[in-house]
Amino acid sequence: MRRGRTITLPNGKTVERPPSHALLTAVLLAAAAAVSVQVTGFRLSVLTEGGYRFFDILKQMVPPNISYLDKVWGPLFDTIKMSVLGSAAGAVLAVPFSVTASSNIVKNRAVISAVRIFYSIVRTLPTLVTALIATYIFGLGTLAGTIAIGVFTFSYVGKLLYEQIETVDMGAYEAMEALGATGFHAFLYSVVPQILPGYISNCLFCFEGNVRYAAILGYVGAGGLGLIINEKVGWREYDKVGMILITLFGAVVVIEFISHQIRKRLT
Amino acid sequence: MIRFEHVSKVYGNGVKGLDDVTLDIEQGEFVAIIGLSGAGKSTLIRAVNRMHGITEGTLTVDGVSVGELRGRELRKFRRKIGMIFQSFNLITRTTVINNVLTSRVPELPWWRSLLGIYRREDKIAALEALDQVGILDKAYSRVDQLSGGQQQRVALARTLAQNPSIILADEPVAALDPVTAKQVMDDFRRINREMKITVIINIHHVDLALEYADRVIGIRSGQIVYDGPADQVSGEVLASIYNGKEYGKMEDAG
Repeated sequence: MRRGRTITLPNGKTVERPPSHALLTAVLLAAAAAVSVQVTGFRLSVLTEGGYRFFDILKQMVPPNISYLDKVWGPLFDTIKMSVLGSAAGAVLAVPFSVTASSNIVKNRAVISAVRIFYSIVRTLPTLVTALIATYIFGLGTLAGTIAIGVFTFSYVGKLLYEQIETVDMGAYEAMEALGATGFHAFLYSVVPQILPGYISNCLFCFEGNVRYAAILGYVGAGGLGLIINEKVGWREYDKVGMILITLFGAVVVIEFISHQIRKRLT
Repeated sequence: MIRFEHVSKVYGNGVKGLDDVTLDIEQGEFVAIIGLSGAGKSTLIRAVNRMHGITEGTLTVDGVSVGELRGRELRKFRRKIGMIFQSFNLITRTTVINNVLTSRVPELPWWRSLLGIYRREDKIAALEALDQVGILDKAYSRVDQLSGGQQQRVALARTLAQNPSIILADEPVAALDPVTAKQVMDDFRRINREMKITVIINIHHVDLALEYADRVIGIRSGQIVYDGPADQVSGEVLASIYNGKEYGKMEDAG
């Protein structure tokens, strides 16, 4: 670690520069990398020897089987439906929870902590695991996928939302309380206008990611593209897998473009 | 009439905000409260509409004991008291008229308040309030496009749209340049004289306080150390308000 340094001005006054932690940080990072190579058993030789097989499979995907496209539309729209419904439901459900988790709105520390711990637990659940559990409860199909997407969106948008509520300028809220408004009205008219653009932007951003997530949920039987990807990889029909991936890529590009355009207009 | 009787306020950490304050303010007075930062000016003003509670004594406004008000009664009581803040406390990313209209929200039917659909009479009242402070032409501008002085006028219009009988102003001109500050003080004077609204102002600018207020209240460490006409405030009075430091030499005292 570097020691602090004293800079002296021509007129004799001195300024103490605080010590820098950069060297220590670099050493710790290198050590962590070394430990993780050990723990995971990473070997460069495996990559150089077996890596070409990855490209073998990619090569078999081209040319993609265009005639298979007719069978891709159904699962693709299932995937998009799961993302839209799940994202919307999760984002709406997050609102009351996030308001309750904001320390500038709710003054009870215990309530705030309880909601936040709940959020952390939900966020820890991998979406694939949620989807798997959902298939046990609601059966195979898109409902399970929708619920998994909803749960993930709830925890993701929820955390961003309460952090956003906490950085809001409470001046207008105070003014409304002073003129005799209820806490609910004060929140609705002074906090909501401040958080709404950011909230919608976060929801759309989350939705973009959800389309990609939803595409793999079929692996655990939760419907959508993952179902046929899993099937065709199993049958080694890589030209059909290629077609599926290209269609998914196209859909993701279109959705991200639209979402990005909307988010740019939110200020 | 606002009546403080032996009012004290002790904060949770033991700090005394107000110490045995007794005073009467008649309807229609223009009162300036002066004193050092932390002397209790803000606590005094915020006790009137119970934005801050008091711990001892009684405070009545038009015969109503403020300390006993709860929930719906308290909100109804606050309807007739306007409040102006140092940092304007407006919703900056929406229009001027939307800000003024927020003061009508408590009187809307619940479904209107939920959807933000105002009645024609509310819009007329809001526009009239904007006209009274001379910024009717800015009604549909966004607040963040206005200057500080204009923003304080929007806040003033918001208060006028609730038809208050008292206006409490907590450092209303501290964030404004001297010329704009005078214009806003002129607005306060006009509102006070034409509409007979009681105006109570916390202010750091002693010259403005003496110029605009009829009555000056000096406060030091939570106690009233001067209460009298503005034209009788002398150098000695100011010295006693500002902890014995002569006003005008405070820069040296740090």
